[in-house]
Amino acid sequence: MRKFLIILMWLVTSISVLLLVTLPVNLQTQLIAGASVLFLMMVLKTLNAGGIWRLIALAFGTAIVMRYVYWRTTSTLPPVNQLENFVPGFLLYLAEIYSVMMLALSLFVVSMPLPHRTTRPATKGELPSVDVFIPTYNEDIELLANTMAAAKAMDYPADKLTVWILDDGGTLQKRNADKIVESHIAEKRFKDLSELCEALGVHYLTREKNVHAKAGNLNNGLEHSTGELIAVFDADHAPTRDFLLETVGYFDEDEKLFLVQTPHFFLNPDPLERNLRTFEEMPSENEMFYGIIQRGLDKWNAAFFCGSAAVLRREALNVTGGFSGISITEDCETAIALHSKGWNSVYLDKPLIAGLQPATFASFIGQRSRWAQGMMQILRFRFPLFNGGLTIPQRLCYLSSTLFWLFPFPRAIFLVAPLFYLFFGLEIFTASGGEFLAYTLIYMVVNLMMQNYLYGAFRWPWISELYEYVQTVHLLPAVVSVALNPRKPTFKVTAKDERIDRSRLSELSTPFFVIFLVLLVGVGVTIYRIYTEPYKADVTLVVGAWNLLNLVFAGCALGVVSERGDKRPSRRVKVSRRCEFRVGERWLQGTIDDVSVNGLRVQVLGDVAEAVSVGMLTDVRFKTFATGDLGDLPLQVRNVRKQAGETSVGCMFMPDQPSDHSLIADLIFANSAQWTKFQLDRRGNPGLFKGTIWFFGVAIFQTYRGFSYLFRHLTGRGKREWEGTL
Amino acid sequence: MKRLLGACLFLGLSTLSSYAQVAPFDMSPERPAEPAPAEKPAAPFSPLPGQQAPAAPAPAPKLAPAPIRADGQWRRYIVPQDSLSFSGENGDKTWAVFITADQAAAPATLTLAYQSSLVVAPEWSTMTVSINNARIISEPVQSPEGRKTLTAKIPAGVLKEGLNTFRINTSLRHRTDCTVQSTYELWTEVDPSKTYLSFTGDNPRRLKKLDDIRAIGVDGTGRTAFNIVVPAIDRTQATAPMLHTAQGLAILANMPNQTVTVSSTLPAEQSPGSLTVLLGTDEELQSLAPWAGDSRTAPGVAFVDDPATGSSILRFRGADWQSVTNAVAGFVDPLKRDLSVPRTFISTQTWRSPDVPLFISSSRVKLSELGVDTKNFTGRRLRTEFAIGVPSDFYANEYGKATILLDAAYSEDVLPGSQINIYVNDNIAATLPITTSGGEILRHFPISFTMRHFRPGVNLITIEAALTTKTDSICAPGSNASSTTRFALFDSSEFVIPSFARIGTLPNLAGLSGTSFPYNRSGKPLPVVMNNAGEKSLSAAATLLARMAVAAGRPMEVDPRATANSAMNSNALFIGAIPQIESSVLTQTGISENTRTIWSAVKGNVEPAPEENTQSDFNEWRERLSGRGWRGQISSFDDWLNRTFNISLASLMTSDESDAPYTPEPAATLLVAQRPNPNGDGVWTVATSATDDNLIEGVRALTRQDHWPELQGHISIYKAGTDEMQMVPVGNYTFVQSQPLSFSNMRLVIANWLSGNILWFSLILVVLASLLGIATSRMLANLGRRI
Repeated sequence: MRKFLIILMWLVTSISVLLLVTLPVNLQTQLIAGASVLFLMMVLKTLNAGGIWRLIALAFGTAIVMRYVYWRTTSTLPPVNQLENFVPGFLLYLAEIYSVMMLALSLFVVSMPLPHRTTRPATKGELPSVDVFIPTYNEDIELLANTMAAAKAMDYPADKLTVWILDDGGTLQKRNADKIVESHIAEKRFKDLSELCEALGVHYLTREKNVHAKAGNLNNGLEHSTGELIAVFDADHAPTRDFLLETVGYFDEDEKLFLVQTPHFFLNPDPLERNLRTFEEMPSENEMFYGIIQRGLDKWNAAFFCGSAAVLRREALNVTGGFSGISITEDCETAIALHSKGWNSVYLDKPLIAGLQPATFASFIGQRSRWAQGMMQILRFRFPLFNGGLTIPQRLCYLSSTLFWLFPFPRAIFLVAPLFYLFFGLEIFTASGGEFLAYTLIYMVVNLMMQNYLYGAFRWPWISELYEYVQTVHLLPAVVSVALNPRKPTFKVTAKDERIDRSRLSELSTPFFVIFLVLLVGVGVTIYRIYTEPYKADVTLVVGAWNLLNLVFAGCALGVVSERGDKRPSRRVKVSRRCEFRVGERWLQGTIDDVSVNGLRVQVLGDVAEAVSVGMLTDVRFKTFATGDLGDLPLQVRNVRKQAGETSVGCMFMPDQPSDHSLIADLIFANSAQWTKFQLDRRGNPGLFKGTIWFFGVAIFQTYRGFSYLFRHLTGRGKREWEGTL
Repeated sequence: MKRLLGACLFLGLSTLSSYAQVAPFDMSPERPAEPAPAEKPAAPFSPLPGQQAPAAPAPAPKLAPAPIRADGQWRRYIVPQDSLSFSGENGDKTWAVFITADQAAAPATLTLAYQSSLVVAPEWSTMTVSINNARIISEPVQSPEGRKTLTAKIPAGVLKEGLNTFRINTSLRHRTDCTVQSTYELWTEVDPSKTYLSFTGDNPRRLKKLDDIRAIGVDGTGRTAFNIVVPAIDRTQATAPMLHTAQGLAILANMPNQTVTVSSTLPAEQSPGSLTVLLGTDEELQSLAPWAGDSRTAPGVAFVDDPATGSSILRFRGADWQSVTNAVAGFVDPLKRDLSVPRTFISTQTWRSPDVPLFISSSRVKLSELGVDTKNFTGRRLRTEFAIGVPSDFYANEYGKATILLDAAYSEDVLPGSQINIYVNDNIAATLPITTSGGEILRHFPISFTMRHFRPGVNLITIEAALTTKTDSICAPGSNASSTTRFALFDSSEFVIPSFARIGTLPNLAGLSGTSFPYNRSGKPLPVVMNNAGEKSLSAAATLLARMAVAAGRPMEVDPRATANSAMNSNALFIGAIPQIESSVLTQTGISENTRTIWSAVKGNVEPAPEENTQSDFNEWRERLSGRGWRGQISSFDDWLNRTFNISLASLMTSDESDAPYTPEPAATLLVAQRPNPNGDGVWTVATSATDDNLIEGVRALTRQDHWPELQGHISIYKAGTDEMQMVPVGNYTFVQSQPLSFSNMRLVIANWLSGNILWFSLILVVLASLLGIATSRMLANLGRRI
């Protein structure tokens, strides 16, 4: 009853707001109202008001957005009888309506995300049995070794923990491939991996045929195992020691729980972060998703499975016959299937795995194409809105998650729309300069402020737009192709461990330069038009400014596709662990300062610079968290630096036996607290104003960098100096 | 300037000569105190006698030359206004003239006198006059020696009994210049006092049927006069029938500038454009003239001939006042329209043809139905007008937008930068720049324009195309002769008015001038309060009521009263010189008691006290200091806001200034004010002047077609000195429900109110949005998962 009254009250107030904003008041009134609301939002923003004020500010924004939509719908569409204007005009309108609809859905999802869940450590007494699945296809064995070692090292009773390598790279089908080279590689992989598994105490499992890709592989694992719970890790996602203890407890509380999902935390930057050098200072792209969207989804019991770093209940999976494989995003699809059968999910907002993400722009695009295509398939085959098993909020949540991937369409339209006017004189948006100011500009600022309100600490201004733009160029064809041919896309494994040892232009960079140049011509046309056609300078200025904004994104994107050479592909994690460092026969006291997946840096007490030479093979000895035993890890010295009273030695791991990987995993993955700390360090909301200035600065520099890369690429000059610079 | 002076001079002279001619015969009783005609132009406010004349309210109707000429010709003036000028490259005027059967049958000649500007090139300029689409005159425009008179025989059969459409078309081109600017120098003026139909014989001047009242026509200044002669003018019983008669006549004749004179004696003669009406019992009429009291016909209303002058006179007679009243009712009642029957047209034919459609909800009309022809235009500035009507409860001024779906084409000659402008009642409402070169066909191209300048009643909408071309910038000799079409406007274009908010507001004099709102909607007789009414105030009341009846489209039952007390809880119309108006009425309608003093001082020619107005002083200072330093930048931002959005700081302030009692300036001749009555259940309207003479002069000027629509706001004044109207905008107002309650109408009403009260919209938006935020927060806290 109370609930009903509360909903009724909400309905009454929203209908009142709706009625008010759809009044056809005049331009003056709109301008004053828009400006007042904007001002109030700014005040609330400046005061950093949270709680109920946050929702009030969002309601302000919603009112302005609705007014914009009302005006846009009723007064700005070109007349239907001018098809040359109407068709592009209507497309632009659809693109805007899409954006508004996505804003509405995200408001629903993240207006009041669940707060951080308090930890719920499992009681050690009656723990369920867990199968850990590590599906792999073609990942390096080295990489797998770390993951396996970390999985084995998880703090959990050994009799209840079984780790499985599900190898799709060594299937019978692969080993008997017609191409001799392929079959040879598969055979070797099968052999090496089996041996490694045996050494680490991990079960190796492969199958006859590579059917149904990852979902098929996981289902094969289900068939061969019996644990109550299934933990899934990607080949490069190494869990911390406390992963299981943090997660399995939730299954006790709720019998209908099928999933506990944890965030993906990446040790290396994605291409944008790497090339723009923002990895250390700005929150990562996926933090918006894992930091707030999943929490929002969790409020509506709609947190979904992200393919890795999650624990699932076998009983639930059996209901749907294992992992679903119609789409190439089996994870989300499985979650929909189980949610619609009344099972629940939980999202735990604490990074408990660390992994790698695609390093090059090309593989980044490959990964995103798979997500986009998979989500399109879900939209096509399991349209969430009409899925009767889901609750209404769940439907909206899934709609939000899947429709998001249509963004290439509006992005592309926003990109070309101003050019229609600048190049062809088409008027696809009928509004005067004044109306543009009173409606569109205020709407745009309000929209940005709402985004900042919603995601401020997780996503800086304009970064979403940049990410969308850089993906659009290549995702648009991918999404179109899946729309035309929904069953065609096949699962492609994303390569994540590539190294970019020298600076170069990405192989996908050409369209970005072309687009940039076209937009630049657009700027030229703008200036020309302002001077030659002064009678419509106001419209030209507005459209020109829009085009200029596109140019800024396009320029910034040039930096994204100009891949920096990076000597250290993965991030060094700060640790501080006592160790002993071997110099010749002596063991010297030292501290391990930082580690990465490839090596570590040790501070050795005393001046040993003479005794240590680059290329020297040595060992480091430390006590593991897992067992408390001492272990020796073989290293090769890469550099030596003298410091006051100490010597800093940089080394590369030289693992030669399986147990060495356990030591590496123990160093890197033992402690989840360090990742949380790293993430929190990057979080911070620069605010709309500062963020915008910062972004424009970055964009200008990146445009310059993009062109200097292009110049060198074309002339081939100064290659040596270039590498490793800029 | 030269043109203006010339025109004034010539009009002035003609007026003077008319005076000279008519004055000796002028014995009409309503103008006993009229100063000698020669003194008239030297009124205190007129520096130049020559300029005064055309601007002065037309003097009494009998200034026109004698109707029957020596050659046996009888003239009917045809131009329904005191001046008729065509400016710009194309001009067009269409109206209808009612012709009696006798007139239609008689041989007729059309005479037209005009003068045009010197820069008009006769080779390329023409004037066409047509009657019922038959071309009567088509001449090059050329008037080198001042006025030029054209005469043409009207072929038999062209004139028909009933309404005949007259149309004058001009197409003028400049001798030397090709700029858009130069088109403003082009003009042609038709002289109404020299433009007439001449009929041979005596029959054409006879009026026989009641319907022939419509053929009363105009005098040489476009005025129509009804002289109601009531021998028993002082009888109370006579007042109501008199006022009803005036309304009935006005509605039937439906001319644009009608005056009613009430007197107790017969006028000496009946000039063109005037009609003498006798009203009384046989006995009373007998005292006027023997023929007037002739009681051989049945009681009622009929035309009788004045044996002395031979003119037709309308007579209402009966044995006693009861039967006279019945006679009047028999005449007026058929003109009544049921309150529930809405008008679809406002009848304007006699001054603007076709009739103006009255839109009471969303509508869509082809311009061809509004009297606009397809135009293929070779010049540089094309103007075309049409009129539409909106009801008096039109309440969409603040937010509303109407649309013209333009079917037009322009040739490749036309350069970008040309414009198509829309004007509403001569206020610019929208501009569509032409932005593409190479010519284009616009098919139903929408041009939205604000309805801010719409007012109840007839609204004039002008489409103007200002075209610049390359040929014009070169302007080779003779290029004005070019007959290549540059611009075409098609009559398939449409005017679209969306459904608009409808609610009456009070006070609202614009509603009164538009459709006599709110009196047109009342089923009860309208109390008309005249204290101590003399002939002049009666004439003024009759003239005003006649105008109101025309606006309302129906005669209104009136109930003459003597005091305000009797109208405390009803509608009322107060007419009289200020001494006759009770103080309670002045207070109630927002007129300052000081008015009495100020107006009495006028007679002593006291300098008016300078008005003090802090706000305007303040604005003046701001104006002076604008543009200086950074504060200047702010104020120039304000300017920009003002230009772009029509917002100024002033429009955000809610001021009650206008609700302070109003004191007119001494120069005000007539003051009209409106307010709800003390009980708040009716509306009081006051028309008052310093003296009876001012009252009749003011009312006659006010009811003229050119001034009547300017009756607006809470108070309007007319100043005879400058022949102009001024108004005091409405401050506080109340709504009067005029439509059944409906959601969509309420929504639009609210939209308009909020558009006028800008800050309220913001405030309500903020409050509602805050409530939404709170409600959402409550809801989200109760729905979904909680931890």
